[in-house]
Amino acid sequence: MTATVTPATTGSAAATDTGSGVLRALTRHRGRLIVACAAVALVLGAVFLGAGNWPASLSVDLSGPLKSTSDWIIDNRDGHPLFLYFLGHVSNAVVVSVRAVYLVLLALGWAGVTAAATLVAWRVAGVRLALTSLAAFAVCGVLGMWVPTMQTLALMVVAVAASVLLGGLLGLAAGLSDRMHRVLRPVLDTMQVLPAFAYLLPVVLVFGIGVPAAVLATVIYAAPPMARLTALGLRDADAGVMEAATSLGATGRQRLLTARLPLARKELLLGVNQSIMMALGMAVIASVIGAGGLGDRVYQALASVDVGAALAAGVPIVLLAIVLDRVTAAAGERIGAAPAHRSRLGWAIAAAATAAVALGTRLADALTWPDGWTLDIAEPVNRAVDWMTAHLYSGVPVVGGTADWAGHFTTWVLNPLRSGLQWLPWWAVLLTIGVLALLIGTWRTAVTAVLAMAAIGVLGVWDPALDTLSQVLAAVAVTLLVGVALGVASARSNRLGRALRPVLDVFQTMPQFVYLIPVVALFGVGRAPAVAAAVVYALPAVVRITAQGVRAVNPAAMESSRSLGATGRQQLLQVQLPLARPALLLAVNQGVVLVLAVVVIGGLVGGGALGYDAVFGLAQGDLATGLVAGAAIVCLGLMLDRVTQPTQRRDLAGKGA
Amino acid sequence: MARTRIAALAAAAAITVTALTGCGAADMTRQSSPYADAKGSRTVTLSVQSWVGAQANVAVAQYLLEHELGYRVDTVQIDEVPAWDALSQGRVDAILEDWGHPEQEKRYIDDKGTIARGGELGVTGHIGWFVPTYFAEEHPDVTDWKNLNKYADQLRTAESGGKGQLLDGSPSYVTNDKALVNNLDLDYQVVFAGSEAAQITQIRQFAKEKKPFLTYWYKPQWLFEKVPMTEVKLPDYKEGCDADAEKVACAYPHTPLQKFLNSRFEADGGDAAAFLKKFRWTTDMQNDVSLMIADQKLSPQEAAARWVKQNEATWRTWLPS
Amino acid sequence: MNTPPHTATAPQTTATAESVFSVRDLWKVFGPKAERVPADQELRGLDPAELRERTGCTAAVRDVSFDVRKGEVFVVMGLSGSGKSTLVRCLTRLIEPTSGTVSIDGEDVLSMDTGRLRELRRHRAAMVFQHFGLLPHRTVLDNVAYGLEIQGVGRGERRERAAEFVTQVGLDGMEDRRPSQLSGGQQQRVGLARALAVDPEVLLFDEPFSALDPLIRRDMQEEVVRLHQDEGRTMVFITHDLSEALKLGDRIALMRDGRIVQLGTPEEIVGAPADDYVRDFVRDVPREQVLTVRSAMRPALGDEREAGPALAPSATVHEAIEAVARTGENARVVEGGRCLGVVDHAGLLGVVAGVPAAADKAVA
Repeated sequence: MTATVTPATTGSAAATDTGSGVLRALTRHRGRLIVACAAVALVLGAVFLGAGNWPASLSVDLSGPLKSTSDWIIDNRDGHPLFLYFLGHVSNAVVVSVRAVYLVLLALGWAGVTAAATLVAWRVAGVRLALTSLAAFAVCGVLGMWVPTMQTLALMVVAVAASVLLGGLLGLAAGLSDRMHRVLRPVLDTMQVLPAFAYLLPVVLVFGIGVPAAVLATVIYAAPPMARLTALGLRDADAGVMEAATSLGATGRQRLLTARLPLARKELLLGVNQSIMMALGMAVIASVIGAGGLGDRVYQALASVDVGAALAAGVPIVLLAIVLDRVTAAAGERIGAAPAHRSRLGWAIAAAATAAVALGTRLADALTWPDGWTLDIAEPVNRAVDWMTAHLYSGVPVVGGTADWAGHFTTWVLNPLRSGLQWLPWWAVLLTIGVLALLIGTWRTAVTAVLAMAAIGVLGVWDPALDTLSQVLAAVAVTLLVGVALGVASARSNRLGRALRPVLDVFQTMPQFVYLIPVVALFGVGRAPAVAAAVVYALPAVVRITAQGVRAVNPAAMESSRSLGATGRQQLLQVQLPLARPALLLAVNQGVVLVLAVVVIGGLVGGGALGYDAVFGLAQGDLATGLVAGAAIVCLGLMLDRVTQPTQRRDLAGKGA
Repeated sequence: MARTRIAALAAAAAITVTALTGCGAADMTRQSSPYADAKGSRTVTLSVQSWVGAQANVAVAQYLLEHELGYRVDTVQIDEVPAWDALSQGRVDAILEDWGHPEQEKRYIDDKGTIARGGELGVTGHIGWFVPTYFAEEHPDVTDWKNLNKYADQLRTAESGGKGQLLDGSPSYVTNDKALVNNLDLDYQVVFAGSEAAQITQIRQFAKEKKPFLTYWYKPQWLFEKVPMTEVKLPDYKEGCDADAEKVACAYPHTPLQKFLNSRFEADGGDAAAFLKKFRWTTDMQNDVSLMIADQKLSPQEAAARWVKQNEATWRTWLPS
Repeated sequence: MNTPPHTATAPQTTATAESVFSVRDLWKVFGPKAERVPADQELRGLDPAELRERTGCTAAVRDVSFDVRKGEVFVVMGLSGSGKSTLVRCLTRLIEPTSGTVSIDGEDVLSMDTGRLRELRRHRAAMVFQHFGLLPHRTVLDNVAYGLEIQGVGRGERRERAAEFVTQVGLDGMEDRRPSQLSGGQQQRVGLARALAVDPEVLLFDEPFSALDPLIRRDMQEEVVRLHQDEGRTMVFITHDLSEALKLGDRIALMRDGRIVQLGTPEEIVGAPADDYVRDFVRDVPREQVLTVRSAMRPALGDEREAGPALAPSATVHEAIEAVARTGENARVVEGGRCLGVVDHAGLLGVVAGVPAAADKAVA
């Protein structure tokens, strides 16, 4: 989606200014550190020689306490005051509000909802988007997904509203108080790089399977971008305007309400936009814990290996995402430009028209989508998938089939990588991570990364974590290879860029679950399909960031190199790529984060390792296993993010939906 | 100033929540799905497990509840163990096919009394190890576990490394396979497909190429109609031989599949509860519907409608008199 | 001139009754433990580079004292980094001074509580900013009314009053535009109208026209001149542009490195630079347009009191040259019918050439 790409402006505040003197000092320190590290490594190596795995004495077995916690919760859920007087109300509030929204949507009927969506889009974003959203809702109906769409929409409305409220309040606190900002920022930054899957387990532990758990997991996932952007907007408020307000004698409250908040409105809307996209991204994953709606349809369809049906449920999600994204993005751009009056009349017309349509359908008793107006896309899609897998799976002359590729990839890349990582002494792994993080980032990121990795060892899941890590590394390598090549190509050829864009959009918005099955059909069961799914998912962001980075290279530098007679190839290698280095580093960072998100889901197609443990924990209600795996995924995400985090971090791209 | 504002907002939010949900205690184990009872109709929420047999049960039950008894039916897909929790909370009214969860039965039925037994489904389930019939015909001795090591080489894949591959499925399924491989000294590596969908896809790919494979599988299952498979004999099952999960070295039992109802639903569910308790059919019937869903790609509703049309005599007896 | 030019280090004897702002020994130091700098006699004397080396602090305003008299345009001029913008912000404590005193109408500003300070900002001093500081999400009218809104004036009344000031600054018909739809000059007119709308006792201008292009800048300067002539409102005007300072200022404080190096009328600054820095600064100024005939005047001899064109003492040398050239005679400087002296070719040429002898003779 376009709007999952946060404009570069958000980066200005995230970037940390380091004076050149400080930088020089840092470089000196860095050199010393690497020497120190080598020395420490030698000592450690001598002491722990041969100790390949994380030593058992250093790990803590949490399964006992976790199991008893989980038992205690199940036994006390209907009796303990904490549940009766607090969590019960939270859960109840969610149920009541989702239900309220759902009933309103049902009362409006299909025509009413479609009319409302169309008219809102028209008011906010103009005729073209109005038509888009009309078409989108119509397609949801035509695919026979009207009721699940409304269920998902109801859940989304509540989850997004709660995320915006919660994120907004947190952002307000961080935007106004430096101390809160210092505390919250690393937490929010971290939450944003974690795979959605990791959020499911703790929520299920407390709330059990069902809509409340799904909504709360979604809120936890979708609130951080709102909080970050709110804080950013408030902190970035034009100092001149703020000073002018102060000079006129405004109180703190007046400054906030009349100047600071309105000045941050673009960021606020962008935050809403990002929250919506994150929430929709979570819609399918949350179906694992009982979200219902479209996600559940996707999940059910996958159980019967029905890619067509999964697609029929996935397409409405994509469409909802596109419509909501474009409308909120347009609202953000429009803001402040349009004259205030006249719009009230337009809104009145829109409201009246919606009411009229809703009333009309109610009188005509046509609230539900007419049965005859549906189109079954499942069968043709399945035929196409069958044809594809039948022809590509094996026996393709010369290049071999996809199954052969998967086999070779597993044998020659994944297996050696995994055994290599697991063969390495644990302290060597930590050392490598520390040094890598230092070379790319700062002291602080290095310490976090090493601690996160050590935590995995302490949790007692060192081996599966390294297995997952090997898959991530392999997938990132492939993603970068393909992504950077495509990105450079599409930056240099406008036609290719234009052709790629819609494809990338769809790949990035399509719920990851939808392409798990075709991937199995092509690559068999195992780690190879998990890697393939991860590559497909992470590719769009990498291509986009690379293309943006290469395109954004200072035209003056390009011109001067041209004037010196550089060939296209020389320009690329000597000017564009070196100058696009920050973007490339960011692409690596984003690639890693996105790949991890899918490799974890890869547990569903035989990826094994941490992802399987997390799925197992959910499926068996064995939350001890699941939570430990979830925590390890969190640590792994943290470690990977920090190791690949360039010093001057720029959030060109948010996490895909 | 900002801080007091935030505090005030938080307080307001808390008050709103309390006001919305009514004061005093709120028992989250007695909250139903927000989608239930919409449009004023009586709603039954059924748990659908991820395998197709379970979908067939639910599809037929749903069809009859909606068309014969006038209920609205919501279905939720939940894995087996969490489904027990959801059932006890009343977020799901009934589970129609359970493969035996003694721990949960003890907790929810005997101790808490939140779940009631709903009788047998009429289908007997059995888990085992299977090889494709084309492979068993070629090498008849493969059907005895003692000879499995002979074939380990042929069953190798990239994923299983140097050993033979034993394909396992969804993490939600009951499995002793890792212990079995260990305790029976087999030269095999258990590879978890991670989901039944992935496992089925993989099996069909193997079958298409007539490749040998060894997989954890269960009956009744429609896939047998598409890929004929023969069971590998494991050491006989004896009562209690699977008590210690680490030391299992025997086959899986034959399990009569059970239905379970939420206690409150059983008491107040009226016709729907009575119907679901009487619902009982055979393995073949279930397979018919499963095949329509999974292989002919009919929607569960269409499959159920077709089956209901042809089997009126059977389902008539399920309806409450 | 009969009085020597003021300098920063020679504080005025007493705050005269008519002074609006009265600033004494004001310091603003940025950096760690800033408050020790003004207190320490040794640190006070250091130059900026040494101070930074020793303490890590930067003194933006150093020991500044001056008075702004009622009804005058008081210009603070200096190059960027001279501390002039910090100084003007200290007047209403937009920047908190490190030490010294600031009083407005005899009331100590630095000891005001937040409520009193807010009153000061709302009603007594309004500021116009270099980068306008307009609210981008509001219309022109609502921006102008913003100060009134903050004071709690009702919507109808404030819009009505704001509309007057929109007219006054010549933005009729643009009430419903947003700042982004206006040119820079128009935006600054909005800023000016916003400041005027609260009817402040003093208008503070912080380099208001330096972001505008030259033609617009001249228009705006004339606008300010006109405004001052019409209303006689006290103004403190910050600029880095000498010609702007000379054009607008009744008195000019010239700042360098946080200190006021010279404070005086434009004529004093140009005619009698306090040091080489000021002299260098004013070197390119067309002196004949700034200095008055007083500086070229010599006592009248004999019948010179009666003959030749008459000029007011406030006439510029430029005007005298014109008169002398036209008539071919020496010009008389006449005030209230009394002849103060005469200007001749030599005197005028001396001023233009900047020859000290002529100036000495004139001042004597």
